[in-house]
Amino acid sequence: MDSEPFLKPRLTGPRFDGHAIPLDVLADLAVLEQMVVEVAKWKYREANPARKRVPRGFADGLSLKLTGVEDGSAVPVISLFVAASSLLPPSSQAFFAEARSAIVGAIGAAEQGGRITDHLPPRLLGYFDRLGRSLQDGEAIEFADPAAAGPARLTQATRHTLVRASAADEYTDAVVLVGTVPEVDQQNKTFHLRLPDGSKVKAPLTAQHFDTVLEVFNNYAAGLRARMSASGRFNLANRLQGIESVEHMSVLDPLDVAARLDELRQLRHGWLDGKGVAPPAAGLDWLASAFDRHYPDDVPLPYLYPTAEGGVRAEWPLKPHEVSLEIDLAGRRGDWHALNLADDGEAEATLPLDDPGAWAWLVGELRRLAGAGA
Amino acid sequence: MTGATLLLRQIHPSFVQAGRVTSQAFRPTPKDAGLLSVYDGDMIAPPAAWDHYTRVLALASVGAMGVTADECAAVGLTARPDPEPFPEHAVIDYTGLADREVEKRGKKLKARADDRGWLYQAPPPA
Repeated sequence: MDSEPFLKPRLTGPRFDGHAIPLDVLADLAVLEQMVVEVAKWKYREANPARKRVPRGFADGLSLKLTGVEDGSAVPVISLFVAASSLLPPSSQAFFAEARSAIVGAIGAAEQGGRITDHLPPRLLGYFDRLGRSLQDGEAIEFADPAAAGPARLTQATRHTLVRASAADEYTDAVVLVGTVPEVDQQNKTFHLRLPDGSKVKAPLTAQHFDTVLEVFNNYAAGLRARMSASGRFNLANRLQGIESVEHMSVLDPLDVAARLDELRQLRHGWLDGKGVAPPAAGLDWLASAFDRHYPDDVPLPYLYPTAEGGVRAEWPLKPHEVSLEIDLAGRRGDWHALNLADDGEAEATLPLDDPGAWAWLVGELRRLAGAGA
Repeated sequence: MTGATLLLRQIHPSFVQAGRVTSQAFRPTPKDAGLLSVYDGDMIAPPAAWDHYTRVLALASVGAMGVTADECAAVGLTARPDPEPFPEHAVIDYTGLADREVEKRGKKLKARADDRGWLYQAPPPA
C-alpha cells in the first residue's frame, strides 16, 4: 500500500499545547476522508462533462489516515493511502489533490470574505457542519494555502460562514444547556428540556442518560434541573431547533451559582411589576467568575435573587442566622448583613468584591456561622 | 383589621429559588415609598387575592405568604387598611426607617411567614 502526506493542518489554541489533540477534534477531522472523496468526484465530473458518472472504483482502496502528530501547537499528519489492488489510475490521484485545494480555498474565501462557491458548490459545503464543529473560542485549524500569502483558518466564525453558504437550512454546534425536564416520551425515546426563557427543546433519550433524565423529570415540580452538553441543531438565523445528540448530562445542584445567574440574564427591564431594572450581563459575568474563583466547594451555596435596582442578592439561611449580601454589580461592592433571629444580634459590613481578601473574609464568616448553627 | 388579621403578600416568581422566598419579598422596594402592599386577609381569601393580583392587576405572582398585624407590631411595624387602589388593599408601614432597620424587620417578617408556609401556591406552568 502506497502512502504520501496529504494534509498537515495546524491546530491552534490552548487545548492543543504539547501537540495534544482532543478526541472530539479528531472526530471532526474524520469527516475529511468522506469530504475529500466527494469533492474529488465533483472535480472529476467538472473535468469530464461528457461522462455521466465517475469511473467504477474511483475511490476504492483509498483512505486518509492519521500517521503522526508534529510539533507546532499540534499538527496532525494526515496521509493518503492507496491500496496496491486499487483500480484508481495514477492520473485520477490528481483529483484528490484538486479536492484538497478546493476545500482549503473555500475556507480561505470564507475567512477573507471572498466568493466561497468559486471553490466548492453549496451541496459540498454541508460537510463543514461537521468539520471543525468542536472548535472552541480562540481555536483554529490552519490549512496551508499555496495560493495565498498565509494559511486558511477554519474557526467557528468561518465554519458558520461556510455552512450558511451551503444548501443546508440547518447546522449543528456544540451547546451547553441547563433546564428542567417536563416531558419524557419513552415510546419514541425523546425528552424535552425546558430552558430558562421558557422555551422547550427536544432531545434523543439514550440508555446512558436515561436515569439522569428520569430523575430530573420526576422532580420537575421541585424545579430540579440538568446540565446538558450536546450537539444542537440551529437554523440559519442561529436559533436552536433541536438536539442531535447528547454527550453529557448531569443533575444540577438546585443552588448552582452559574445556572442561577444565567436565569437572571433572562430578566428584562420592568421585570418587577414594571419597575425592576434588569441585571447587566457584564455584571453577571463578573459575579459568576468571582464565585468560581473565590468560593470554595465546602461553603454552603447561597440562594440568589435579583434586586429591583439591577443588582443581585445572596442569602444564606444559617439558623439561627439570616445572612444576606446585597451585591452592586456596577460598583462591585456587597452589603453584608447577618441577623441572629434568636437574640437580635446583628453584624454588617461593606465588602469590595474586587478584592480577594473580601471574599476570604466572607467565606470565613460563612464557615463560622454555618459551624455555629450545626 | 385586627391584630389577628392575616396580611397576604404576593410573591414574585424571581423572588423564589428552589422553593425558598427571599426576605426582599417582605420589605418595600424603592418604588413603594416605604409602604409594603398586602391584601387584608379578613376581606379576601388567598386564592381570590392571587386571582385578583394576576388577572385584574395583571402582575406576576407564584402565590401568597402572610403575616398577621400583631406580628408586624412585634417587630415595630404598623399595618393599616389602604382601600384607595382597591377595597382589600392594605399596607405595612416601613416609612422613616434606616436601611439597616428595613433589612432587619424584613428578615423577621419573612421568618414569621416561613413558619406559616404558603397560604396559596399557583399551579406550575404547563
